[in-house]
Amino acid sequence: MSLERNAESFLQVIEANKGIIYKVARSYCSSELNREDLIQEIILQLWLSFHKYNETYKLTTWMYRIALNVSISFYRKESRRDAINHPLPEGILFLNEDKAGEGWRAEVDQLYLFIQQLTAIDRAIILLYLEENSHQEIASILGLTMTNVATRVSRIKQQLKQKFSIL
Amino acid sequence: MEENEIITIWKSYNRMLYDSLILNRKNTEEITRMKVQTFLASTKPLKIFTILVGIAWVAFVDILIINLFPIASPFFLISAGIQVLLTKMAIGIYLYQLILIHQADISEPILATQEKIARLQSSTLWVARLLFLQLPVWTTFYWNKGMLENGNLFLYILQIMVTGSFAVMAVWLFRNIRYDNRDKKWFRWIFAGKEWSPMIKSMDLLNQLEEYNKEATHEEDR
Repeated sequence: MSLERNAESFLQVIEANKGIIYKVARSYCSSELNREDLIQEIILQLWLSFHKYNETYKLTTWMYRIALNVSISFYRKESRRDAINHPLPEGILFLNEDKAGEGWRAEVDQLYLFIQQLTAIDRAIILLYLEENSHQEIASILGLTMTNVATRVSRIKQQLKQKFSIL
Repeated sequence: MEENEIITIWKSYNRMLYDSLILNRKNTEEITRMKVQTFLASTKPLKIFTILVGIAWVAFVDILIINLFPIASPFFLISAGIQVLLTKMAIGIYLYQLILIHQADISEPILATQEKIARLQSSTLWVARLLFLQLPVWTTFYWNKGMLENGNLFLYILQIMVTGSFAVMAVWLFRNIRYDNRDKKWFRWIFAGKEWSPMIKSMDLLNQLEEYNKEATHEEDR
């Protein structure tokens, strides 16, 4: 069934895939305030491209491409607030701290810290890998060959293991 | 920590996000009502304005050269000719940037899109190089036959020193303003400020992309 291209349908797509947006934004933005701006910019650019979404690709492939392209371009800007079109006064995606709990936090924070130390493209590769995308899907999102993805994934995993081992 | 432990952490994090991540629907709806352009297209108006100002300047100087050709000093004609030629080249770079903006589609694969965006931002360096290259002609356009015939030694020496140093500096900067020198003090001094930062980072990214492409070619050859 083809996807309707109206605001309601867009909201459903965002609601169903909000985790993708949040995780991509967190991988490229350590500051919470900047991250809110980045999340807003990703959702805005997704909306602007929604009518052009080509259904021959998976919806998540389309979302990852836009979220990653916006994030990689966004993190190059010095003044993040200037980089976005119309900053909204409040955030769009946020964690319900009561439900989030604390137990997971330190390890995930550490993992994000290591991810943020990687180059812009390597961050995308490891994020897509952790999200259980196949090498073929990662190659299609990034525009790399599958062999290239496999080599890079194994190299980055090695780097992460080393970083965790010296903790 | 082993790979499977990292994956386990990520999976538990995913579960936590599933339970606790909340979307503010009101703000998301507001986004769908915004009348804005894509983030690349939003840079178009300034580039088009710069091109139009550049074309107006080039037309003005070209008309001046054509009309004054029979009577103007050769120094003026050559200086203005060089300046206008370099400005035309800078306009060409801005046109190239507009083409890249038109071609870049953020729903396309990351590497190809990022290469276009990075080329777009780093091509601004070429504009800076051309800008510096035209420095010496601003010290020669006012020369004329009368100044040469009636000038004194002090004036000649001063003029030669000023034009000479500007020419040496312009050629040196034209040759040396490049990515390899990004960490040099003089480079950082010229390109200090937040407006240049995305350009420097774009060049870093282009370098990373080159590594990926090399790696891919190398693997294909094996």
